[in-house]
Formats: sequence, structure tokens, C-alpha cells
Amino acid sequence: MTAMWAFDYRRFANLTIALLIINVVLILLPHIPGLGTDAGMGAKSWIKLGIQVQPGEFAKVTVVLFAASLVARYQGTLDDWGEYCKVLGMLLIPFAAIMTQPDLGTGLVYLAIAAVVLIMGGAKARFLVITLVAAVIAVAAVFAVDEMLKYQLEDGTWEYRLLKNYQRSRLLVFLDPEGDLSGDGYNLAQAKIAIGSGGLFGKGLLNATQSTHGFLPEAPTDFIFCVLAEEFGFVGVMTLIALYAAMIVLCLAIARRADNLFGMLVVMGIIGMWLFQILENIGMDCGLMPITGIPLPFVSYGSSFMVVNFALIGLIGSVYSHTPTQSSFASTPSHGRKAS
Amino acid sequence: MLVVIAVAVLAAVIVIVVVAAALAAKSRSATPSVGKSKGVSELSTVGVGSSPFERRTQAKAARDGEVTVTSSETGAASKKPSDELGGRFAALGAAALVIFGALSAKLWSMQILGNTEYAEAAEENLYTTVKTPAPRGCIYDAYGEPLVVNRPSQTVIADPEVADNRDVVRRLSTVLGVPANVVLQRINDASAGAQSLRVVGEDVRLRDVAFIAEHADAFPGVTVEERSLRTYPHGALAAHVLGYTGAPSEELLERKNEGREILAIDTVGSAGVEATYDAYLSGEHGVSQVMVDASGRRISVMSDIKDSKGNDLYLTLDAKAQYVADTALAETIAPNGGVIGTGKGSKGAVVALDVTDGSVAVMASFPTFDPTSFTGAISDELFQKYQQEEAYAPLNNNAVSGQFMAASTFKAFTSLAGLEYGFADEKSSWTCTGEWDGFGSGDIQRCWRRDGHGTLNLRDGIVVSCDTVFYEIGKAFYDHGPNGTGEISETALQDYLRQFGFGAKTGIDLGGEAVGVIPTPAWKAELFRNRPAEASFRGGDYTNMIIGQGDVLVTPLQIACGYAGVATGRIMQPHLLKEVRNGEGEVVVSFEPVVERTPEVTEKHLAYVREALHGMVQESAGVAQLFAEQGLDAAGKSGTGEKQNENDTAWFVAYAPFKEPKYVCACVVEQAGGGSDVAAPIVAKVLGALMDSVEGSSQVEIGRVAGSPGDSIPIAVNDAGRED
Repeated sequence: MTAMWAFDYRRFANLTIALLIINVVLILLPHIPGLGTDAGMGAKSWIKLGIQVQPGEFAKVTVVLFAASLVARYQGTLDDWGEYCKVLGMLLIPFAAIMTQPDLGTGLVYLAIAAVVLIMGGAKARFLVITLVAAVIAVAAVFAVDEMLKYQLEDGTWEYRLLKNYQRSRLLVFLDPEGDLSGDGYNLAQAKIAIGSGGLFGKGLLNATQSTHGFLPEAPTDFIFCVLAEEFGFVGVMTLIALYAAMIVLCLAIARRADNLFGMLVVMGIIGMWLFQILENIGMDCGLMPITGIPLPFVSYGSSFMVVNFALIGLIGSVYSHTPTQSSFASTPSHGRKAS
Repeated sequence: MLVVIAVAVLAAVIVIVVVAAALAAKSRSATPSVGKSKGVSELSTVGVGSSPFERRTQAKAARDGEVTVTSSETGAASKKPSDELGGRFAALGAAALVIFGALSAKLWSMQILGNTEYAEAAEENLYTTVKTPAPRGCIYDAYGEPLVVNRPSQTVIADPEVADNRDVVRRLSTVLGVPANVVLQRINDASAGAQSLRVVGEDVRLRDVAFIAEHADAFPGVTVEERSLRTYPHGALAAHVLGYTGAPSEELLERKNEGREILAIDTVGSAGVEATYDAYLSGEHGVSQVMVDASGRRISVMSDIKDSKGNDLYLTLDAKAQYVADTALAETIAPNGGVIGTGKGSKGAVVALDVTDGSVAVMASFPTFDPTSFTGAISDELFQKYQQEEAYAPLNNNAVSGQFMAASTFKAFTSLAGLEYGFADEKSSWTCTGEWDGFGSGDIQRCWRRDGHGTLNLRDGIVVSCDTVFYEIGKAFYDHGPNGTGEISETALQDYLRQFGFGAKTGIDLGGEAVGVIPTPAWKAELFRNRPAEASFRGGDYTNMIIGQGDVLVTPLQIACGYAGVATGRIMQPHLLKEVRNGEGEVVVSFEPVVERTPEVTEKHLAYVREALHGMVQESAGVAQLFAEQGLDAAGKSGTGEKQNENDTAWFVAYAPFKEPKYVCACVVEQAGGGSDVAAPIVAKVLGALMDSVEGSSQVEIGRVAGSPGDSIPIAVNDAGRED
């Protein structure tokens, strides 16, 4: 984090293509035979390097940098339909890469980063709306095509070609939580019980029966929020949310003050990513969002993601510390250059 | 994991504090140093100035003619990339606000508003109720003699997870001597609840129990408990009354909501009073609240309500007289090792009632069984043997469910019918020649005494059991019926007999009661519906019925009740329950006598018949002596039912004392011969034993009654003819 802070983020600015390559390589690493391992969900998103790491998590940093540098590079041209499409296409590359694992959760994070960067990069509002509509149509199309391509296995169950069965079931559970109380529905029900039973002040550290007695699955990782909610109650989770809000506000302030588009977009991309992850993780625990394996920033257990978050903090710090203070704006380099 | 949480929270806090502090410090330091350009110059050399990105932007901006940094002279603001996007910043900020707001609102609704509901769900997850069976109540006779008690049984119990531990299952299999798959099956039996402890072995030998206890490390999840099993101190004594217990049937388990809660771990009464009074005998389950984890492991026991033993039953039986009856039947029918055919007859029953209140003092049935065979798992071999025809149905209670030809025991009731209808009185007399063809049909009916009784009145007809006298009375019923003068209905005799309880259940507190048969024209028409020529109800049907032969079928209990009616003028509902006592010995339920029926009978006629019955006992050579030996002044009647190719059915029924009747006792032995020969000695002994108990002078030592082995040899047929 400190290294990132000291490092001048602007050095990443012109490395767009290099960052894209790094991204894709990182994301595709688990596909190398012998290197990738199965996380247990059928998705190859881990690699073994002495310790298990998720390159897709590290790629979040480079995706932010890549998106920011790309959009900054095309600054001012995003009101042109052709240029816009070019940028959009390139932004979708990391997403496409991660979907080969496939890891929809991380992919959605990439999309969130790309979306925020695109919005804040000055893309024309009309284009953004068109993109959104196109995305909705694309998702619907995926389901429609999936339905057409499905085939029955020998045991009578249906196998789909595009979406994994677990993804499908998670979505269905989200739509109908009472429908299946054994698998994903059970997880969701137990998560809600954990949160709800926390009450105002929680059951206290170590007294969280839902998690310590194993009713809550994946307690240290994806469902960590439930543990907090159960142990510390409403007061505890509101403290956490307040901390998140403070963090976002501070980041927004830094972005607002950034003296160049790249810097601002980096911070905004990170904000987008965090916001999305917070919304998705807490949202899924409460039943507001479908279940995905997206961790909660700074809280979920997982070394890859923790390292990434601190790297991102460092990046924001870098943007901050390399932004001239109010008083020195008069002599910003741009000003100077204008004179030259 | 908790450490991780704590560290994570701490990290998040630290990060934010650091950022905030840094920001604050920066702006503070910035304020006074306006125009300070050290940092700026650094920046320009190191950073943006040399960045190709900046150059490109600037070039592009220059191309578009937009890059004009205004108001530089004020020094207050420069163009920042965010300036043009204020709206979008606001929108993003608003989005963040909405996200946090929505999450907070949802959390508020779940944690504050929905807390109770979710907390309950968490409790439900966490706690499970586990039930343990309670010992059943004991059963005693009227004098407090224990008939059914519990004995401790070493029970090996396992946690459900033991099923996953192959080693432990194998060890249990070795120690208990049960195949491993059976052990596994018992452990996996979740019928008592998902978290219930599973019974792996009952009645385990003490040294095996000790082995398990000493090697607790080798048997994780296995415990040894002392539970109770039924035991029968007197073996097969009153076995049919007591019944037996067993595992609840599927049907019973499904009717859980009716009355008491029955679980698969329970034993329930399957027959006898064990079944009738199951609700009293079964105790309250032990209930423990157990804290479990998601995989069902017990973490701790929160509360534990001890099971409470069921109530004790006190029956009306007199165990001493019962023992006399059980052994007398066994000695008569199967003196040699319980094998039927080694004595007289195939099966039999003895019933004795207290005529004053209907209490059943003795109820014996032979062949019999030892209910001990039914505790734990009944020996399948024995059970199969009992189903064989040559076993003569040892599980059947002949006293209640057995239907026998009434034979001459019926004459007490039919003579009362004749007296009431005026077809006979104290002055009537008939002449018996040994043969009778009253209907002039050529179908000769015989008196049991082939050379005839000569001329005799009704009293003597009863005493010597002259059939001819009763043929005449039967003919009178026919002659006055629809086929004759039409003064009375064609079922006048049957209807009268029904007043004494024939053809109907007595209402005793035992299951499986048979009703017997009192033939009527409608009954006969139904029986011969495929042979209409034989279906008509003729005079012969009356004359057969009136001597209790032909199609008349009765249960020993019906005969006993009927004679109680003769003795007292009213019939009490027979019952076995005296009282129910709780654990403190307090009487919870006490049986109140119920008058079942009061036959319409003139006291004069009753007295006449009673005197005749008294005379029968006093004046019949063999019989008089039997009762005299017991010191009894009894009234009674023998009966001998005739069947083709079989020995006669022996009946005897008597009540005593004659002047102030207390007990009535009926005995039947099928394929045994004459009633006075076979049944009367048993009745005399039982009545004697009962009166001894009342007087407190009983010398009977209750021994152990053996269950029948289920074997028999062919019964030799004695064709000597009836000797009533």
C-alpha cells in the first residue's frame, strides 16, 4: 500500500496496451495446465504458486488502471459513436477473459469498474443509455439461447450450455427464495437468519450461533457480513456501513480534486468497484441481490483480495498525494505548458 | 476466523482514519503556504509534464480549441477534469447514497423489525428436542400381587454420527454379537427424531456393557444406559389378560395427534390390558433440549426433563385363583410338557366373575404363551409355530374370543324362557323315552340318555339335563309362533335369550371379543342363501337351540355373565380394571360397576331355576363331591356339546355360595368329553380358591406358568356318546 502510495500513479497512464495484456494474461493464468485449481464450484479461478492465489482478484487493480488509462486516452472523443464503440469493446476484453474461467462475479466487478469509468470519462449520455439497453437485451438473449440449447442428461436433469447450473439456481433462488431450502435457498435462508437474529447490539463476539455452529456456509468469506451482523448487530453493521460511506466520500473528494482525467478515473473506477462489491455482498446476504461469490472489501477472508484492496488504497493515495494542493493549482504543469 | 474479522475491521478503520488524517493534514498545511512552489516544481519535473498521456490530451484539447485555462491569474482554481462532470459526480454520489441507504433500510427491517422472527429461527436451528421412552406402569392383581413389572435392561445407545465411523460400528458388532449391517441399520433409524440417540442393543450382558464402558475411547459416541423391559414374574399366568407389548405399528405412529404421543422408540401394548389401558400404562417421555450444530452433533444439553413412569394398573384378578385355573387347564389338556393331546381336549378357557360387580376374578385360556417371549424381539421361530394349526392358537383368548357350542349350560336360560312364556311351570311334567319325534316328521331327536328319563318335571329336567323336556318347550315356542298359532314372534325365544347377553358383546375391557351366534330365521336365510331349500327355519331349529346344540355359539364369558344374571337377577358389565394408581400410589381412576342388562324375569321363576341348578350340583354324584371337597354350596350346570367325529365339548358353570352368590365360574374344554367329568373339577377348584381368597385362607402358592410349546399330537376320539 505504501509503495503504491509513493509511486506516481501517472506512470500507468500511457501503459494502456501493456495493462490490457497483463490483465488478460493474469486472468487466463489458471487455464495453464497444472497451474490452475478448481475452487470447488467448477470455475477455474485459482492458481497454485506455493499458496493459492486468485489472479482474477489481482487483475482488478490492472483493470482499474487499464480502464482509466484507456478512457483518459480517448478523452473528449467519446461523443463519437465509432470511438465510443472502440473503447467499449476494449473495456469488455477483461470481462470476456474472466468469463472463460468462468467467474461471473468477478466479471461483474470488471463491468462495474468499466461502467463507472465510462460514465465519468465523459461518454455521451445517449451512448450510455444505448449500451445499457443493449446489455439488458444481451442478458435476455443469453437466457433465451440457453433455453433453446439445453439438453437432457441421462438422469433426466437438464444441462445448459451457457450458464452453469449453479448460476441458474442462484438466480432462481433470488427470485424465489422459498423454492429450494436445501441448497442455495438454504444458504440464503441461513444468511438472513444470521443477520436478522443479530438484533440491535448483536449476540456478541463468539456467541454467533449461526456461524460458529456451522449453519451459515462460507462464513469467513462470502458470508462474512452475516457473521458481523450476528455478532455485532445493527449497531455493528451500521458502523461498518458508515466506515464504507466515509471511505467512499473521501475517495470521491480525492477524485473531484484530481488534476487529470486519468487520476480521477482511477479513483472513480475503484469507487465503482467497491460500491458494487459492497452492494452485491451485503445485498446478497439480505436477499436484495442474487448470490455470487463477490467478497466484501476489507472484511472478507482471502489474501488475494486483501492485497488488492490495500494496493487500491495505495493507488488512491498516490492520486491524492500527486494532486497539487489548492494553492498550487495556479502553477500546474498545464498552466505552465500553456505559457510555453 | 474471529481474529480475521477483528483484523479486517481494524484494518478498514485504520485505512479510513489514515486517509482522513492525511487529507486533513494536507489541507491544513496547504492553507498558509500559498504560492509555495516546491512541490509543484517537483511534480512538473517528475510527473505530468513528461507524460505522453498529458501531451496527447493537451494536443487533442488544443485541436478542439478548448484548452484555455482561464482564471489562472486568480490562482484560486485550475481546470480539473471533474469540473465538467459535476452532474455525474453528483449522480454517482447519489447512487452511493441510495446503495448505503437501501442496505441500511434492509438491515433495519431485518435486525430491528424482524429480529424476533429471525431469532426464533436461529433458536430453532440450534435447539432440538430429543425424547426418551418412559418405563411403563406395572400391573398387579386385586390383592397387590405383581403380574407385570419392569426390570432394568442394559441398553447400548449410540449417537447418529456413529454410523459414519466404520471402526466403531465393527466393534459394536463384535461386542454385541450382531451383524455390522444390523448395527448400522439400528443407528440409522431416525424414527425417534433426527437427533435422538439410537438403541443399538437391548438387554446387553453386563460384561459387554462393562467392556464398552472401560474402552470408552474405542467407542466414541456410544453410551450405556439402563432402560426398563417388561418382565412377568409368573410366566404365562393370565397371559391373555395381560397381553404383551411391542413396537408401535406404522398405523399407530401415523395417528400421533390422537391422545398420547407415540414414538417409534416406545413400546406399546399390543394385546390384553396392556393394549386396552395403554394410555394409563405409558408414562411421559423424557424430554431434553439439546443444542446441536448444523451437522446434528450434540453440543450441549440445555434442559432435561426426566421421563416419568406410567401409572400402575390394579386388576380385578385374583392371582391365586388364576394360577389354579391356569394350571388346572394345562394339567387337563396337556399334562405332558404342554403338548396338546396328551390329556383331555384341545383348548379351553376358564372365566370367573364377581357376580355383584362384574369384576373378572379369573380368566384363563389354554393353550397359552409366556409374554416374556414378546419382550425385546419375539422369537420368530416360536411365533411361526404359534401360527400353525396344530398349535391351537395360543395367542387367542378363548375366554373372550373363543366361540363354543353352548350345550346344556343353555338350559338355564331356555327354561327361564319357557317359564316366562308359560310353556312350562312347576306343575308341568313330561315323559322321556330317550327318543323324541314331537313334530311327527320322522326325524327322531334323542335325549342324551338313550333309555330315557321317564316322567319328570322341569326342575328334574334341569338337574338330569333331560333333553326331551326341553324339546317339548322348544316345540311350544314353535307351535305358538307364526307357523302355529301365531301368538308369539318367530324370534321370541332368541329375543329372550338376548336379554342374558347372548349374541352380543359383553363390553369387557379387552379387545377381540366375539359375539357368538343365536340362530334366527334371518340368520339362517343368510347362511343358506345359496341353498334356499335348507334356509327355512323349522321346528328342529328351536329344539336344537333350546338345548344349546346345533348352531348356538357362545363365549365362556357370555355364559359366565348369563349365569351371574341367573344368580343375581341382573348382569354387570364384566371388567378387569380395578383401579389405576399413580407413582405416589394414589388412586387416579377407580372402576365403577355398571349394570349391563337386567333380564325380564319373574323372581319366582328365577328362584325355581336357581333351586334346580343347586339341585344339579348337589344331586349329581360326581359333581356334588367336587364342590363338597371345596366346602362350597354351589349351583351350576354341566354341558356337553356334540360334534361329528370329535370328542364332546365339556362345559361346566357354577356360582357360589348358593344363598348369597359371590362368584360365578365357567369352564369349557373343547374335544374333552363330558362336562361333569372334565370341566366341573376345574370350576370347583377355581371357585374354591376364590372363596378361600375372600376368606383369607388361601394356601395357594403362585408358581410359574409355562407357555405352550405350540406342539400337539392327534387327539384320540372317544365315541362313547354324550353323558350329560
